[in-house]
Amino acid sequence: MPEAIQKDTLIGKRITKLDAPEKAGGKTRYIQDLDVQGQLYGKILRSSRVHAKIKSIDTSAAKALSGVHAVITAADVPYQRPIGVAKDHFPLKTDRVRSLRDEIAAVAAESEAIAEAALKLIRVEYEDLPVLADPNESLKPGAPLIHPEPHGATAKHDHLKQAQGIAYAGKPDNIAMVFDYAQGDVAAGERESDVVFEDTFHLHYVTHCCMGVSGIIAEFDSSGNLLMYSNTQVPFLHKREFAEILAMDPARIRIIQPPIGGGFGSKLDIYPFEPITVFLARATGRPVKLIFTREEEFLASPTRQPVILTLRSGCKKDGTLTFRTVSTLHDNGAYTSWGATTPFVMMQTISSLYRVPHCLYHTKAVYTNNPYAGSFRGYGNLQATFAVEQHMDMMAEAIGMDPLAFRLKNAQDPGEVTPQGMHFKSCGLKECLTTAAEASGFLAKAGANRANRDKPGRFKHGIGIASMLHVGGGAKIYPSDGCGTILKMDDFGSVTLITGASEIGQGSETVLAQLVCEELGLPLSAVRVINNDTEITPWDVGVHASRTTFIAGNSAIGAAKKARGKILAAAGKMADLNPDELDLRGGHIVEAKSGKVVMTLAKLLRQLHFSDKAELVMTSFYYEPPSKHQDKHFKGDVSAAYAWATQVVEVEVDTDTGIVRLLKVTGAHDVGRVLNRLGIEGQIEGGIVMGQGYALTEELLVENGVVRNPGFRDYKLVTAPEIPEMDVRFIETMDGEGPQGAKGVGEAPAICIAAATANAIENATGVRIMALPFTPEKVYRALKAKGQHH
Amino acid sequence: MTALDNYIAPTSLEQAVEQLQELGEVTILAGGTDLMPQANAGRVKFKRTLMNIRRIPELRGIVREDGEIRIGALTTIAEIMAHPLVSEHLPLLVSTGDHFASGQIRNAATLGGNICNASPAGDTLVPLMVLGASVELASKPDDKLFRRSMPLPEFFVGPGKTRLAPAELLTAVRIPIPPKGFVARFHKFGTRPALDISAISIGVAGVLKDGKLSQVRVAFGAVAPTPVCGCATEEALEGKKLDAATIDAAAQAAQDEVHPISDVRASAWYRKEMIHNMTRRILEDVAANH
Amino acid sequence: MSQQTIDFTLNGVPTRVSVPVQMSALEMIRNVAGLTGTKYGCGEGECGACTILLDGVSLNSCLLFAVECDGRAVTTIEGLAADPVGLRIEKAFVDAGAVQCGFCTPGMVMQAKQLLEQNPHPSREEIQRGIEGNLCRCTGYVKIVDAIEAASKE
Repeated sequence: MPEAIQKDTLIGKRITKLDAPEKAGGKTRYIQDLDVQGQLYGKILRSSRVHAKIKSIDTSAAKALSGVHAVITAADVPYQRPIGVAKDHFPLKTDRVRSLRDEIAAVAAESEAIAEAALKLIRVEYEDLPVLADPNESLKPGAPLIHPEPHGATAKHDHLKQAQGIAYAGKPDNIAMVFDYAQGDVAAGERESDVVFEDTFHLHYVTHCCMGVSGIIAEFDSSGNLLMYSNTQVPFLHKREFAEILAMDPARIRIIQPPIGGGFGSKLDIYPFEPITVFLARATGRPVKLIFTREEEFLASPTRQPVILTLRSGCKKDGTLTFRTVSTLHDNGAYTSWGATTPFVMMQTISSLYRVPHCLYHTKAVYTNNPYAGSFRGYGNLQATFAVEQHMDMMAEAIGMDPLAFRLKNAQDPGEVTPQGMHFKSCGLKECLTTAAEASGFLAKAGANRANRDKPGRFKHGIGIASMLHVGGGAKIYPSDGCGTILKMDDFGSVTLITGASEIGQGSETVLAQLVCEELGLPLSAVRVINNDTEITPWDVGVHASRTTFIAGNSAIGAAKKARGKILAAAGKMADLNPDELDLRGGHIVEAKSGKVVMTLAKLLRQLHFSDKAELVMTSFYYEPPSKHQDKHFKGDVSAAYAWATQVVEVEVDTDTGIVRLLKVTGAHDVGRVLNRLGIEGQIEGGIVMGQGYALTEELLVENGVVRNPGFRDYKLVTAPEIPEMDVRFIETMDGEGPQGAKGVGEAPAICIAAATANAIENATGVRIMALPFTPEKVYRALKAKGQHH
Repeated sequence: MTALDNYIAPTSLEQAVEQLQELGEVTILAGGTDLMPQANAGRVKFKRTLMNIRRIPELRGIVREDGEIRIGALTTIAEIMAHPLVSEHLPLLVSTGDHFASGQIRNAATLGGNICNASPAGDTLVPLMVLGASVELASKPDDKLFRRSMPLPEFFVGPGKTRLAPAELLTAVRIPIPPKGFVARFHKFGTRPALDISAISIGVAGVLKDGKLSQVRVAFGAVAPTPVCGCATEEALEGKKLDAATIDAAAQAAQDEVHPISDVRASAWYRKEMIHNMTRRILEDVAANH
Repeated sequence: MSQQTIDFTLNGVPTRVSVPVQMSALEMIRNVAGLTGTKYGCGEGECGACTILLDGVSLNSCLLFAVECDGRAVTTIEGLAADPVGLRIEKAFVDAGAVQCGFCTPGMVMQAKQLLEQNPHPSREEIQRGIEGNLCRCTGYVKIVDAIEAASKE
């Protein structure tokens, strides 16, 4: 036993991930790798028509195939209930299909090959209906209705009640959702303006491309309890939702989450394949495993919300912003998932990234026969920022102010309460702006590039800046935004941390363990994290909104503080010392001032356990952030903290081809405080490259409802040789509510890359492009149109 | 269900072509990098027999023979890139390989497979055409091994279609050793170094002497159902001094003579523009560096 | 459906299996041999998650016919547990923070092993080119390149 131990900290260190050794050695078993004794294999027959009535389905040949245990259609599951955010479709479609992904029948068989063969034997007769592939067409009077018949269901999501005209099937038009937000008087704002711009921005379809494809295993026990091995990001919400869809008692549903091959928001909704697999398990009395193919993943998993956004903005000659009017049209696709609700986030950027006195915001989400959009890292913010930050550059130029000074003039400060009701208790936007600009040499390079752009030469260099605001302390869109923790200590000084927060690869279990170690003076090796079984872990709202480190972190700290208090009180009693003068360090109880060791933690725990009182150290804590629901006007302090960032992007534009190369990204991120430096760097680097893909290479090509590139061959993820040099700086504003001062960072790094890239291309060439992605052909066409091709 | 019910792996060329002649309905497996995904996607239907030709030693290796380099059909892209005869005489194939798919695929994909797939965007086809390659084919219609050869451009009929007879095997590619003063360039249009299906590709080769190009060969990929010769472009260059006017004329000829389609990778208009711009850049590079 | 019996070594262990002729090596490794470290990511050779070594050469096992393994040596990520270079790379991935969701990691490690055998001291650019056939959606590749660079310097 050492004589004395001085205070040490893990905060800000480079901590390797707890799950990394298993993953690097190929030992981690993802859902694809799990097998359950006696399992059958499920496959889904999807529509071959974009929009059609189902006239008949003949499954007799499929049912007769050897090895087939069940073939089901909607007729076989009369108990199924509608699913999705607006409850506007059934897992198995009944009388019509509204998009190419639509589920018509499903098979459970003894092998995947047999299941696939059986699908080919199912005969479906369709009667084609007119296809609506453009949201503008869907809005025209007399347009065919995509959801003409009522399902008899209403949305149960309390937090969506503000959305006017929320889609309930059977409405007389194709409008799925409408959002309206207003602050101040935009007409007055416009009258004060010296400069006004209005432009329309087009944001495209991209998809998550998790490296692990979707999958599920469902099985019933003999008492009728349902166990699902699922990749969901929201296990506790899904218990309730599944119970509704399946007409069963939620208490009989257990969800186990095996390690997940990527999430990024894609697993926030229930998708038809999940209840369908449960139907198959019910029909066969056997466990059923269903895993997508990659092509299926492209066709039948959600996308980022495509948006047509018209922005009107103004400012005064002195650089003061005056107003913004935004009207957006969201292509909802055939059904309503979370994509339709991205206005919640978009309007925050519009109203509050910079100080704008007058704002008017209107969104319509409109049904089409296209794929439907879900939630995706950034949740509408990439789209909103793309428009807002381009107008910031345009206005700055129009009044002859440099883009940095213009932004600084309008940037938020700590303490600000915005007209939308957000309270920025910590805010590092100005430091983000100046840090990123100085580190990249932004102003000097921007000037030099500009001077160079009309000179001859094939390659042009450009630099662009953009900033972002995103929730960093959860987002109170459900009745609770909380997370529970159970912490127990064994007789040997080790901790089992049982948290509701799911790990999706982002490193949450490592950072939670780290926070607990900080309170209890333990090495990381003393903590095990349990986080994947609804039967064991306490409630959590789910992995979304960059909330896990903040919310689950505060929850873990709460449980650890209780354990610490109990331990120190017991130690004080045993050693006859004042507990306030004791500390926990390196697995020992020490005197706080001198570091002098009093006893080992393990010994204390055993003495507690095996004493007359026979006590264990087991604590629990439920953390609910001090945030508020928005009122029916979308106003309110929805997050306990807000994250900020500025990214400067440097590009090279090949004027001969239109190819844009990302050379360097300099990012300054207000993260509150760095907890795990290795983890946070990884999140930011990964986010930057995801933003790069959104800006330059990725596009799900949808033509008349048909996805033309359902594979990595033509849906181009960024590969290793294409990544830019990165210089990432951390602005530590030490948020008062954050765990050890930290704020959420998961989504932030992907958000402003596309906007900054647009500004960089303009700086390089004088050509401003308001549609994504910046493919060579699109850029070349724009250059050619402006005579910038040399 | 598939009709595939037989698997053979002959160990000599004679045996392979005999079995081809005898069985008729045969799918040939070489590197498998295209066959497997095509079959999985249902774009290729297996015939009754799968013949794995990878165990045939005669189909491997790179040798110098009578002023030609002979590359066995089964040679992988990685083996070609690493071979001293190729780097000495056919450096164009080394840089071509560098843009070919990925490391893993370069290790598996064979030159013969890339040719027999006859994709209009096949990465090796345009460079081989401008190098004047011919293909060597073998069959055994009777007791004797029958060999024939054919200039590569004649081999291609349409996307995935060649003049390979049903009982015939592509055994090798023959490339004349280029003469002194030979220059060759291949441009694969793409946004990244490799792992890209080209929207267009361009090959230019010829003998450069006293600033003039002769024996010019030009070929384009992904602008027609097969890789095509750029005959008008060749004409615009043949025997001319490689100056700005010639380059402009050649680039224009190139743009005018291709008739691409629009697809998910690019529009026809953009393809024509790129054929023009890249032909110009290639020729400027040749002029500047020789 | 024609079955074929093949003999090969799987991570050094003599192995005999019977497989359908058109089965991929990936399916054989995962579903017949039961080694799940090799991942299905796309089935088209575009993502590299299924990278294995065949006679020491890295390939996409999803593009390889299982029958082609006959008489050859197959090494999967599980086989690197007995390989000093492999273990060094795995440790470097952990230490550099190169693992997030981890789904691409086994394929990355296998390709890194191939790269370092062909080029023991690659530049960063050579490392980036070396893993161009391996997609990662989480990390932005920076820390993967860091890891391979670190492994090359040990």
